Amino acid sequence: MSEVILKVAGLTKSYGKLDVLTGIDFELKKGEVVCVIGPSGSGKSTMLRCLNLLESPDGGRIELEGREVFGEGKPKDLDALRRELGMVFQQFNLFPHMSARENVTIAQRKVRGRDKAAADERAMDLLTKVGLADKIDEYPDRLSGGQQQRVAIARALAMDPQIMLFDEVTSALDPELVKGVLDVLRGLADMGMTMVCVTHEMNFARDVADRVIFMDGGVIVEQGKPADVLGNPQQERTQQFLGLVLDH
Amino acid sequence: MGEFFNTFFDFQIMGDNLGDAFTAFWWTIKLSLISGALALVWGLILAVLRQLPGRPLAPIRWLTIAYIDAFRGIPLLLVILLTSGGLGTLASQDVIPRDLGIPQWFGLPDPFWYGVIAITITYGAYMAEVYRAGIEAVPRGQMEAARSLGMSHGQAMRNIIVPQAIRKVIPPLLNDFIALMKDTALVSVLGLVEMVQLGSDVYSETYNPSVYVLGAAFFLVVTIPLARLVDWMIKRQEQKFQRGIP
Repeated sequence: MSEVILKVAGLTKSYGKLDVLTGIDFELKKGEVVCVIGPSGSGKSTMLRCLNLLESPDGGRIELEGREVFGEGKPKDLDALRRELGMVFQQFNLFPHMSARENVTIAQRKVRGRDKAAADERAMDLLTKVGLADKIDEYPDRLSGGQQQRVAIARALAMDPQIMLFDEVTSALDPELVKGVLDVLRGLADMGMTMVCVTHEMNFARDVADRVIFMDGGVIVEQGKPADVLGNPQQERTQQFLGLVLDH
Repeated sequence: MGEFFNTFFDFQIMGDNLGDAFTAFWWTIKLSLISGALALVWGLILAVLRQLPGRPLAPIRWLTIAYIDAFRGIPLLLVILLTSGGLGTLASQDVIPRDLGIPQWFGLPDPFWYGVIAITITYGAYMAEVYRAGIEAVPRGQMEAARSLGMSHGQAMRNIIVPQAIRKVIPPLLNDFIALMKDTALVSVLGLVEMVQLGSDVYSETYNPSVYVLGAAFFLVVTIPLARLVDWMIKRQEQKFQRGIP
């Protein structure tokens, strides 16, 4: 729980004249669960997407296990980075022309070079863990949003990433489907997975996170233990935001 | 009235030339299938080249766009004449090998192959635009999900984007194929006795256009079912869409 696995320094990103990230610094330790909260437009999703370079930052550095993967405005080792970081999206983004099994095996085979039997075995194992063993041959259009999201989690886990990134993974779900997905995330956290979750689920952040980061205006305003940041915020902007989201 | 009818529907002349009509239409079919298949592949290659990512590959994108713009803007008839005139002349001056300049591959005559080449390069440009629409209709998140799993741009295109894009564009591609089939008639200008050239030949002998009408009937026998098939596929896709299936 002490070894730093991911280090971000001075990360900036703008779209034309709009500065979305104005200097992000943080470290992620192995096994740590970090929840990122903040108002919409605060840059939290962009920050997450910059971590695995789905968005290219304009400046700053990213180090993975002491190795520079982004610096001087360009990626250094994109493949290594994406191999080690799994990502789950708000809109699931399952491949609609493939069954749940194929969704989970395609990258294992094409990227990891596993044979069909090994990839299938891993898919079965992971889909069982997320409670979808019986849906393995279904196509995404036959699955509920919650089920699709759990397949998407299995798909990312199948690549054996060291870090998992979750980008508002329950925001597109009907309320009754949220719990199933959060339970999977809790299970992962309990197993010691290193996780960064951008989320609006404050109870989840309070229960599961080792650290909560509050972002606003493209910077990290405040961070610390969930009880401190959520229960006794020091910064005015954090207090305002929590006042709006916690009182109902 | 009888005169009018006999001008277009002289069954005597049609019957006399029925055997030749089947032979001629067989050329039309061969031209359509071979250039259609090649244009399908060439169009997909162009569409993928046009979508290559990153700044270093920009020249390839520009060249592809220039190619597509050029051949969408030039009449096919001109391309056919340029192909046969150009290749033939280059071969006779020994600039290019004879086998390339006057192609008689698989024992088929050179006008046939000039037609295949011209139709392929022209319809490849049309079909590239259809594929492009299909590729652009695949949600952005699909590419992001594939890339986040560590796939390269090429792997993501091949396994994730193009398979979805093709499903979306099968009906418009079939529409282009119908247009292509009709445009094979232009190869008659090189003297290949396909359906239209046969009509001309018979007309100049008999001064009766009935074999043109026979040719039209042959085309319709193939194109009408294809048009119905396209409509049926579009309707089926719409129903799927209404049920919320991507």
